[in-house]
Amino acid sequence: MKYIILQRALNYLFEVHQIDTQLLDGKVIYFSLQDLPIKVNFVCTNERIFVTNNTDATSDVNIKLHLSSFLALIRGQSLAELLRQDKIIIHGDIKTAQLLVDLLQQIEFDFEEELSKYTGDAVAYKVGKIMKKFKSSDNSSTSIKDKITKFIIAPKLFH
Amino acid sequence: MKKTTHFGFKDVATEDKQGMVRSIFDSVASKYNLMNDVLSFGTHRLWKHYTIATSNVKVGDKVLDIAGGTGDLARAFKKKVGYSGQVVLSDINAAMLSEGRKNLINNGTTDVQFVQLNGEQIPFVSGSFDCVSIAFGLRNVTDKDQCIREMYRILKPGGCLLILEFSKTDIVLLEKCYDFYSFNVMPQLGKIIANDEDSYQYLAESIRKHPNQEILKQMVLDAGFGACEYHNLSGGIVALHKGIKI
Repeated sequence: MKYIILQRALNYLFEVHQIDTQLLDGKVIYFSLQDLPIKVNFVCTNERIFVTNNTDATSDVNIKLHLSSFLALIRGQSLAELLRQDKIIIHGDIKTAQLLVDLLQQIEFDFEEELSKYTGDAVAYKVGKIMKKFKSSDNSSTSIKDKITKFIIAPKLFH
Repeated sequence: MKKTTHFGFKDVATEDKQGMVRSIFDSVASKYNLMNDVLSFGTHRLWKHYTIATSNVKVGDKVLDIAGGTGDLARAFKKKVGYSGQVVLSDINAAMLSEGRKNLINNGTTDVQFVQLNGEQIPFVSGSFDCVSIAFGLRNVTDKDQCIREMYRILKPGGCLLILEFSKTDIVLLEKCYDFYSFNVMPQLGKIIANDEDSYQYLAESIRKHPNQEILKQMVLDAGFGACEYHNLSGGIVALHKGIKI
């Protein structure tokens, strides 16, 4: 099921942002997120991307990286820099890998905009506001963990 | 010496199989939908839904559904391809095609083309479809390899083949229950509901004679598809093979 969700999400985002995938036409890219159970082949063809679990098929390039490096790539960090820091392993045609990264970097995901299609503007705005507040405050996962720990160890001091 | 093939557990002359399969579907056509719902407890709708979800079909695509029976997949594909796309519903059996046409009209689906065709000799030019599907039809085809080669031929480069078919489960307990259900309950339900025990006996037997997941995957690759994967559904009772013409 996760492959279908990934396939639909990728194709949807490329379509919405009118990103031309033709430069990758005919390419097979093995992609592995090493800290998550995600090992897939992206088969780029016929102006769309198929996500398959059949990773024994021959690929043009193998890309292995951790989630944090993947997020850094999407946020615009250069592939060359990550390669230099050994945060990404690439075997095969590096030009194909760079093309994929270029395409992914063109995606600008507007969470509120997407959510509003299903919930309406008002709800999407409120959710977006909560998320922004959550992001900007010190409510990172570490500080939440700290607060929970403090609450368990010394509930009186928590207030 | 005459060439033979299997028809359920029987060996029959190769040239006779097509007619025998046709007579089965002539007999069950009017009750086909009802029997599908009863025998699979409605699960066939989920299997088909999954097939559509995995198809990657877009607005404007051309889709051919082979052995499309009562038109469940064609209806869903039509929603995906929109008015700028094209869906062709085909079946070798005129009675089934007529049922499909009736169902689509009753469900308000228009603008679907209907073609009576044999999957071994598809009357379309090469490279004309973005997606070709065959659901619960391949096991009834006499020369399956030829049918897969034909589906490959009519797909555009980058086109997607979807084969939804009964397959083999490797869960021992499930297999035992499924065998009991297939050979004891299904034919009896066929007798009660469709007044046709033999056709549902054939259904159970033909499923056992159909290639398993790995063999079918190899057949798809041998036909020329650059990539093929399969997804087991309901513990492998059904499998969806997806081939991509790279």
